[in-house]
Amino acid sequence: MIGKGIVIEGLKKRYGSGETAVDALKEVNMQVAPGEVVGLIGPSGSGKSTLLKCLGAVIEPTAGRMKLGDEIIYDNGWKVKDLRALRRDRIGFIFQAPYLIPFLDVTDNVALLPMLAGKPNAESRKQAVELFKALDVEHRAKAMPSQLSGGEQQRVAIARGLVNRPPVILADEPTAPLDSERALAVIRILNDMAHRFETAIIVVTHDEKIIPTFKRIYHIRDGVTQEESGEGKDFQ
Amino acid sequence: MISLAGRDIMHAWGKFVLTGLGLGLLIGVTLSMAGIYRGMVDDARALLDNSGADLWVVQKDTLGPYAEPSSLYDDLWRSIRGMPGVARAANVTYLTMQVRQGEWDVRAMVTGITAGEPGTPGWPPYLVAGRQITRGHYEAVADIATGFRLGDQFQIRRNHYTVVGLTRRMVSSNGDPMIFIPLKDASEAQFLKDNDAIHQQRRRTVETPAFNRPGIPDLLDEVIASQSTNPYVNAVLVQIKSGYVASDVADSIRRWQRLQVYDRIQMEQILVGKLIATSAKQIGMFLVILSVVSAAIVAFIIYTLTLGKIREIAVLKLIGTKNRTIAGMILQQAIALGLIGFVVGKITATLWAPIFPKYVLLEPLDSVRGFVAVVIICVLSSFIAIRAALKVDPAEAIGG
Amino acid sequence: MKNFALQRRTLALLAVLLPLLALFVYVALRSGPLAPIPVTVTTVENRAIVPELFGIGTVESRYTYKIGPTAAGRVKHLEVQVGDLVKAGQVLGEMDPVDLDERIRAQQASLKRSEAQLLEARTRRDFAQTQARRYEQLLAARSTSEEIAFTRQYELQVAEAALRSAQEEVHRARADHEAVRVQRRNLHLVAPVDGLVTARHIEPGTTVVAGQPVVEVIDPENLWVNVRFDQTHAYGLAGDLPARIELRSQAGVSRTGRVLRVEPLADAVTEEMLAKVVFDERPEPLPPVGELTEVTVTLPALPSGPVIPNAAIQRLNGQAGVWQIDDGEPTFSVVELGTIDLDGLTQVKQGLKAGDQVVVYSHRALSSNSRIKVVERLPGVQP
Repeated sequence: MIGKGIVIEGLKKRYGSGETAVDALKEVNMQVAPGEVVGLIGPSGSGKSTLLKCLGAVIEPTAGRMKLGDEIIYDNGWKVKDLRALRRDRIGFIFQAPYLIPFLDVTDNVALLPMLAGKPNAESRKQAVELFKALDVEHRAKAMPSQLSGGEQQRVAIARGLVNRPPVILADEPTAPLDSERALAVIRILNDMAHRFETAIIVVTHDEKIIPTFKRIYHIRDGVTQEESGEGKDFQ
Repeated sequence: MISLAGRDIMHAWGKFVLTGLGLGLLIGVTLSMAGIYRGMVDDARALLDNSGADLWVVQKDTLGPYAEPSSLYDDLWRSIRGMPGVARAANVTYLTMQVRQGEWDVRAMVTGITAGEPGTPGWPPYLVAGRQITRGHYEAVADIATGFRLGDQFQIRRNHYTVVGLTRRMVSSNGDPMIFIPLKDASEAQFLKDNDAIHQQRRRTVETPAFNRPGIPDLLDEVIASQSTNPYVNAVLVQIKSGYVASDVADSIRRWQRLQVYDRIQMEQILVGKLIATSAKQIGMFLVILSVVSAAIVAFIIYTLTLGKIREIAVLKLIGTKNRTIAGMILQQAIALGLIGFVVGKITATLWAPIFPKYVLLEPLDSVRGFVAVVIICVLSSFIAIRAALKVDPAEAIGG
Repeated sequence: MKNFALQRRTLALLAVLLPLLALFVYVALRSGPLAPIPVTVTTVENRAIVPELFGIGTVESRYTYKIGPTAAGRVKHLEVQVGDLVKAGQVLGEMDPVDLDERIRAQQASLKRSEAQLLEARTRRDFAQTQARRYEQLLAARSTSEEIAFTRQYELQVAEAALRSAQEEVHRARADHEAVRVQRRNLHLVAPVDGLVTARHIEPGTTVVAGQPVVEVIDPENLWVNVRFDQTHAYGLAGDLPARIELRSQAGVSRTGRVLRVEPLADAVTEEMLAKVVFDERPEPLPPVGELTEVTVTLPALPSGPVIPNAAIQRLNGQAGVWQIDDGEPTFSVVELGTIDLDGLTQVKQGLKAGDQVVVYSHRALSSNSRIKVVERLPGVQP
């Protein structure tokens, strides 16, 4: 119901200019549907991070087109004025480490996003707690991040990514520090959430453990994406 | 919206309060420094107020009796008393010395006051215990800061004095407590040499043939007697009759008696402007340095606190927190630190002020100024940290 | 559990901050200039004041005898030392007689010679008398000539004149002798009264001029104290008033005495009155002359009246007065003061009555705008 995934066409990114110019992204084409979890795989220096930053609207691509849901957000230039609000409301982030704010409790870590968007505190917290139920961390709602286990922290981080119901979630190596069992559990949750909230999820990874779980995989090499179908292994 | 600054402080309140305490002690030192300066000025004023004089008559061409030595004949007050407009004139002597009581001694300004009734110029205007001097000799009213109690006996030169009254805030311009004793004793103490010196002096006189002449048997005694008297005082304190202007009376004394006369305003200028000017500058310099150090410390603390949160700030920015919110967070923390520091500083300055050997006067207005200065310093110091925070790239949160 | 942890932290924070704030408020108010001034009050009482005068004096001897030779000379020997008690007439020492003894001997010889001459003159006269009487009888019997008889008569007259001359010569020689002997006796230095030797200025062998004292003797029965009183408070000082005398060497021991006289001449230079105070009993041991004494003279008691401690007296705009508390506000009452005693109790002639409350001590100088707080004892003052 929310949005229609993300579509990227011919995205390019060049750092610098003239002779020293480096083309980080040469030709990126991606399409992720709501409810779908795709993998983005590539060796170091392939342009993974640059792509993620472009998608996350923290750096500006050089050319191409990006469409988020029904709205074209980039067409050889940003079409959205408030990138901050775009990041806040319509893109969810999940990082390699949970990166929770240590001085806020678990609920407020998640509720902070709706609050930043201007929602009342009580409503924001309610929204967060609902998500905790879905993620099975509601018993830790009042704890401080430092009191949580790694897996719990990552689940809270996922809740933060989801709380504003963004059409797309960018997950940057979300399973890197986890053992294979927990890593698979995270993937399971992501799949679950993507399904439940109709969200397109792009998982950037080079984690061999989880690659087989994707139904669709984008390989990126030297700034060029290539779509492959994955094994789509049933990890349950 | 929740207060990010408040949550951060609450999260690490121990560290924060301890930092505030440390800063507070520094602010306390700064406030005390200001208090010491105010105390010095107040000491000078207290000295003038307590002398109860409208005019100070001193030796010609001197800045006496406090800033320079001054010496007048002790019968001069009679002719000054006769000048028009003079209601009361009283001799006074000042001598700063170590006053001994048994094993220990205390630095004090021994003031010789002329006999009379309470309210005579030079007399302590009010007491906190005991009574004023009634005997013409060997009684003393001491300031409570000397540590003497009623009934204590102490020694000045060769005489023992009994403390019959106690005063408070009767100090010299140096902040030494005052001890009031009868003028005759004081002028003796001022000029009397120790017994050894007197003995030597007598021996020299005896051996001088001009003084020791067989034909005139009494000459020697007279010479020795004249050597051991002291007809000098340091100043004459004058109260003027109501209806007369101090400067007119001063002019006529200056003109007809050919003496130097200062009124209250001039005396204050001498004391504050000349006597303690260098010390005041010294303290002013210290105040500036302490302010700069405080500012630097606040800046370092806030900057360090911010650098410790760079990753969180990047995440906050990435998830769409406004720069204003982040700057506000740092600013609020800086001001909160300043507030804790100021409160602690004010408390410590007040609590340790009585322990200082010299008077520390903490004026409420100085506290208000200090408060404003602390807030301004905190705001300015937080700018470095805010700048660092705003330079953080939200992209740093991605892809490490 | 988590809830509790959070609350505990909040509580701890409050536990630190609240006392800090409370302390701050207390400190800010306590050190403010508007903090009330602590004062103590006392009640004016009707009391009779026994005014006293306090003065400093030195022990002096009423009579001092300076004993020395009447003529210049050299001291031969001195019999007494300082501190010796001597009797009236006792020889204290002697001046060197030089040639006086020889002169006495010469005078003696001269006297004897005159006496011998007198004897000779008397013998001549006796012979001449006998001769004269015999020739007178012979003349009556006409056995000699009238001329011879007349010659004998003449010889008798000459012999009588010679006898008279010899007699006068003996007188002269005796007087001369006596004079030298008196002179010799005068070389003794003799105590004029019973007394105490206080000084021995000269040692034997020293030459002194006429009138220069060699030994000083005082009369220990007649010691007095020469006391100086400040003129300011000396009203009422008169003869026969009782006095307490405290010797500096015997602090705490006071002896009784009385004012012998007040000197009609005051000391104009030191602005002091002089009086002589005598001991009722001779002090034992005898105080050295010149010892410092403190003398307190008790004046006749004054009739009962309102009195205040002198610590309460202050001067405002040139007028003496006291602070009173009217409805919690300090007000200055001008008073006329009377006599003061040595404990500082001052009579009030006008302006106060018994039962009035006056401020005695204050923590700071008062003004009519001061806020005050009456306390039992001022802070910082030990009992």
